[in-house]
Amino acid sequence: MSSHMIILSISLLAGLSSPPTHVRAYLDPGSGSILLQLLIAGILGAFLVLRSSWGKVKTFFSRLFSRDVDKTE
Amino acid sequence: MRINDLVGASFRDPSGFLYRREGILYRQVNLAYREQYKQLMQSGLYDDLVQAGLLIAHQEVEVEPAEVVLAYKVLKPQEVQFISYPYEWCFSQIKNAALTTLEIEKRALKFSMTLKDSSTYNIQFQRGRPVLIDTLSFEIYREGKPWDAYRQFCQHFLAPLSLMALGDVRLSQLLRVYIDGIPLDLVSKLLPRRSYLNFSLLSHIHLHAAAQRRYAGKAVTQEASGRTMSKTAFLALLDNLKTGVRSLRWNPSGTAWGDYYEETNYTQLGMEHKKQLIGEFLDAIQPKTVWDLGANLGLFSRIASNKGIKTIAFDVDMGAVEQNYLSCLEKQETNLLPLLLDLTNPSPAIGWQNHERMSFLERAPADAVLALALVHHLAITNNLPLPHLAEFFHQLGRWLIIEFVPKADSQVQRLLVSREDIFPDYTVETFENVFAKRFTILRSATIRDSHRRIYLMERR
Repeated sequence: MSSHMIILSISLLAGLSSPPTHVRAYLDPGSGSILLQLLIAGILGAFLVLRSSWGKVKTFFSRLFSRDVDKTE
Repeated sequence: MRINDLVGASFRDPSGFLYRREGILYRQVNLAYREQYKQLMQSGLYDDLVQAGLLIAHQEVEVEPAEVVLAYKVLKPQEVQFISYPYEWCFSQIKNAALTTLEIEKRALKFSMTLKDSSTYNIQFQRGRPVLIDTLSFEIYREGKPWDAYRQFCQHFLAPLSLMALGDVRLSQLLRVYIDGIPLDLVSKLLPRRSYLNFSLLSHIHLHAAAQRRYAGKAVTQEASGRTMSKTAFLALLDNLKTGVRSLRWNPSGTAWGDYYEETNYTQLGMEHKKQLIGEFLDAIQPKTVWDLGANLGLFSRIASNKGIKTIAFDVDMGAVEQNYLSCLEKQETNLLPLLLDLTNPSPAIGWQNHERMSFLERAPADAVLALALVHHLAITNNLPLPHLAEFFHQLGRWLIIEFVPKADSQVQRLLVSREDIFPDYTVETFENVFAKRFTILRSATIRDSHRRIYLMERR
């Protein structure tokens, strides 16, 4: 398991002690299921945002770099 | 409205229900579901899903509702060719049904709607593809709200798929016992330790089971926690479930019938003659539906399906059904549906009052039944007397194309090698006499280069 997966798993386990939630539906979505879902989705969402931001940072620098290359030519 | 007219599985959701009138299937939409139905139809979601072949199409019709006081509209949905259940599906069928459910949810979110349930029973195979049949499964999405159907998705789809891929493929049969999906604590217990290394299974199965245990029976409120789930987080969750489902694989090699057709004892001439006879019999009776029992990889089923006949290929072996289904996908076949079925213990009626999910026999009759190289397995391996077999086939269809494999045949000899021959009545004469009591034998022929005989019969 990669290191970020281990961090994810620890955050998940830690998050299970957070306060619970309730949603009204014709089927009981299950308290534990809703809680865990909020947690996992939150973490996955945060990773997604981080990943796309990281992409932007990389693109910024690579453009900067390619411009520098252009200038030297 | 008599309760008998209501479709057995259609009672949980207050949004509406299915009923039959004069043989036609209708879906009543209740007033309670008016806003959601309007959004489904007006937002473009319905058109998007129907065009993509992901949702069953329907027409709004002007017929009297079954429950007038509750009614908003009556719909006439396109009928599904054959209702099948997840415990009759092979691995890839369950996997594709799961991916279809996730795709529908993703599309729904684009139109500000979300699935409120994600039961495997809401998916059926139509023209070879999984399709959502419950038009009333959508509710209006409110930003911040988690997915109500998450638990059901994990129990109905991820649970059997993970058990089949990492445990044993036969564990799909737990779905026959647990009608609302396999309990996650049981799945967590049965999965091997290496499943903890798969992030999706770790979170959606193992930790999910732990969370359910921890909060079992506790009244909890989302308002009190003030927690919400952003749409980005929602999409990330769906994406992770999709990755999790996609990562699960099962390879059918090494199952009981691994060699399939290589194990037959026909000569090339005999095989061609058998195919020719089946084709001629089918042309003579022109059935609209065919059930091929003991279909193996569907070689003979395809004689029917290639003629445009809606054909179901049943087999007891998961490996055969899986390979057959993968062939159907590869060839984009729309008239053939392979399904898992043990004829000596066919699917029972299950659920509330034994009415929610139909037994195998309740779904009969087909127009024609193929029983090729099957009788010796039932009569000799399973000790089933021939009159019982005639009675069974009599219930299944109007016409029967059946092959009798006599004791002289090497395949029957093989079945008798390790056991006493307690079948003095297993002869072609007795077979014909017994079946003639239930059927009219229209045609019969001996297959070339063999001792086998093939019959076309019509039930009396």
